Amino acid sequence: MKGVPLISPLPNPPPLGEGANLLPPAGGGREGGAGTVIIGMGNPLLSDDGVGIAVAYAVAERLKQRINLTVTELHTGGIRLMEAMAGFRRAVVVDAMLSGAIPGTLRHFNSMDFVTTKNTFSSHDTNFATAFDLGRMAGVLLPKQVSFWGIEAREFDLFAEQFTDEVAAALPGAVERIAAEILQWEGAE
Amino acid sequence: MARITIDPITRLEGHGRIDIFLNDQGRVENVCFQVPELRGFEQFCVGRMAEEMPVITNRICGVCPEAHHIAATKALDAVFGAEPTSVAKKLRETIYMAFFITDHTTHFYALGGPDFIVGPDAPPSERNILGVARKVGLEVAGEVIACRKRNHEIITFLGGKSIHPVAGVPGGWSRAITKEEQATIEETARRNIEFARFSLSIFEKIVLNNPVYLEMITSDTYLHRTYSMGTVDADNRVNFYDGMIRVVDPEGGEFVKYHPSEYREHIAERVESWTYLKYPYLKKVGWKGLTDGIDSGIYTATPLSRLNVSEGMATPLANAEYQRMYETFGCKKITNDRYQPIHHRMATHWARLIELLYSSERMLELALDPELTSPETRNIPEPARFVGEGIGSVEAPRGTLTHHYVTDGRAVLTKVNMIVGTTNNYAPISMSIKRAAEKLINSNAPEEAILNRIEMAFRLYDPCLSCATHFLPGKMPLTISLRDSQGVLQREIRRKT
Repeated sequence: MKGVPLISPLPNPPPLGEGANLLPPAGGGREGGAGTVIIGMGNPLLSDDGVGIAVAYAVAERLKQRINLTVTELHTGGIRLMEAMAGFRRAVVVDAMLSGAIPGTLRHFNSMDFVTTKNTFSSHDTNFATAFDLGRMAGVLLPKQVSFWGIEAREFDLFAEQFTDEVAAALPGAVERIAAEILQWEGAE
Repeated sequence: MARITIDPITRLEGHGRIDIFLNDQGRVENVCFQVPELRGFEQFCVGRMAEEMPVITNRICGVCPEAHHIAATKALDAVFGAEPTSVAKKLRETIYMAFFITDHTTHFYALGGPDFIVGPDAPPSERNILGVARKVGLEVAGEVIACRKRNHEIITFLGGKSIHPVAGVPGGWSRAITKEEQATIEETARRNIEFARFSLSIFEKIVLNNPVYLEMITSDTYLHRTYSMGTVDADNRVNFYDGMIRVVDPEGGEFVKYHPSEYREHIAERVESWTYLKYPYLKKVGWKGLTDGIDSGIYTATPLSRLNVSEGMATPLANAEYQRMYETFGCKKITNDRYQPIHHRMATHWARLIELLYSSERMLELALDPELTSPETRNIPEPARFVGEGIGSVEAPRGTLTHHYVTDGRAVLTKVNMIVGTTNNYAPISMSIKRAAEKLINSNAPEEAILNRIEMAFRLYDPCLSCATHFLPGKMPLTISLRDSQGVLQREIRRKT
């Protein structure tokens, strides 16, 4: 292990980013962006795991006459989740959770008190909090408001495209409350 | 037999944990690495049209949807007897290179690298990608994000959809690309090459030039002399998209080379009474338990094993790095281009970076191919050539991935089988954890150091547990319960979140 030079070290690392609105020069992080993204997390083929995705689409449908929401489906969290909200002013994340509550229970988390719901962590990179800090460090344009909604799942490791009864019953209420939060955000501006 | 449980993923469902079994003498007897078992996949698929599989299987795993999509599409080529056009193969390989680059980059900077760059005994709050950026330079955070972004853009336009590609069809690819898109791929590939070289230079500076880390990589803590598996091209060089499966023995002699469709003749699965896990092994060598050596059929399918089976890399910069790695380990050449295998598992991190460079160079080769913009992206399957059964295989980042579909005469699925990348490595992962546990479990090392050294043993394989994160609250909880041979709790080590 000695004396063998590596391929020539790079004198200057390649420039950061490639424009768009994602990457200004590193350092500091930015807030702002435009519009609202609703991110449904989970796997639509794994029973209740897909509830977040169904709720995200239903919220966008509910509000389509009033607000143009962007809907994103995401299977894993961590860095992907941070990237999915880059460039937006506000982000709402909806995911299944396994907290021990009664199936169908809806919980709201602010980004400050956020605990991990089922899919917001990636075992292949990191948790959302670290990913968000990474984005700030990299100067990614991140939302100024982020909220998380968890819906307690009952069945989450069985391949099926239906929700269990408890979770199906909770869906309309979840759509109602999340749509109300978004309208409140919009109204506050 | 006493039992120790390390539960890194969940205490809710009993999935994704590590069980360490002690004998009456308090020594480690067996180690079982439990991964989540999703239920009902076969029933879910049977009765569906085979053509749905590329978009069903790409949702099995949120981390490698592209690998499942391509393996499924190749299986459909076989089911329908439809050989893809030349440009279809190149488009598939291009998207696959973009995927490999994002995956390997993320693993090095976010998961594997922090142990080396920040340090294996650093507090968990610092041992992450933020710690890497603080150590290497804050600009590296932007580099990682930019690398992911530019390659995700290629995956999106080539695959027809972000995250879960939809463009794979039997006999080809459903979307041709424009000259402008080709130019984007070329520019991206050039940046990827520079970024891969930059990553290797970090590895050189921080890991290889540090005697402590170098000792960690070359020590026998994580050394297992197993067979190695990987896909090779016609010149026996590493290929991720297509080729023959080559297996070399622990000394480096070619044991077998076979077409992926013959996997059942070569791979069997061992069931042990103490775990629901099935351990794949080489049928013609046989199962001898969780032990290594030439008489044990355990094989490894990882970035390191892929390099071990190959006569070098098919691209020049990656090949120079390949030679340097084997020479660093003092391996002798056994052919003109190939060295004795490396069995030090920590070298997998280095091999992954060499593969990152190869993927980048290969992407540039594909981008410069004038045929890439050809509109001839598909051969429409002909009913007369319908086969009804097919096997598709690729190298996923975590090992050889095999999809096998059987259909009736109308292409309705009647049977589905898969061996996913991580599955190949169940036995080696268990052996690596066992070795770490033997050395550490009765030591007086600080608790967090014990937890992390054992985690490092499986982290190097990057086992796929993305669907196993069934826990609250946020950070990875980790508990080791150390019990004597009577099952009485002696000591509990727990990571506080």
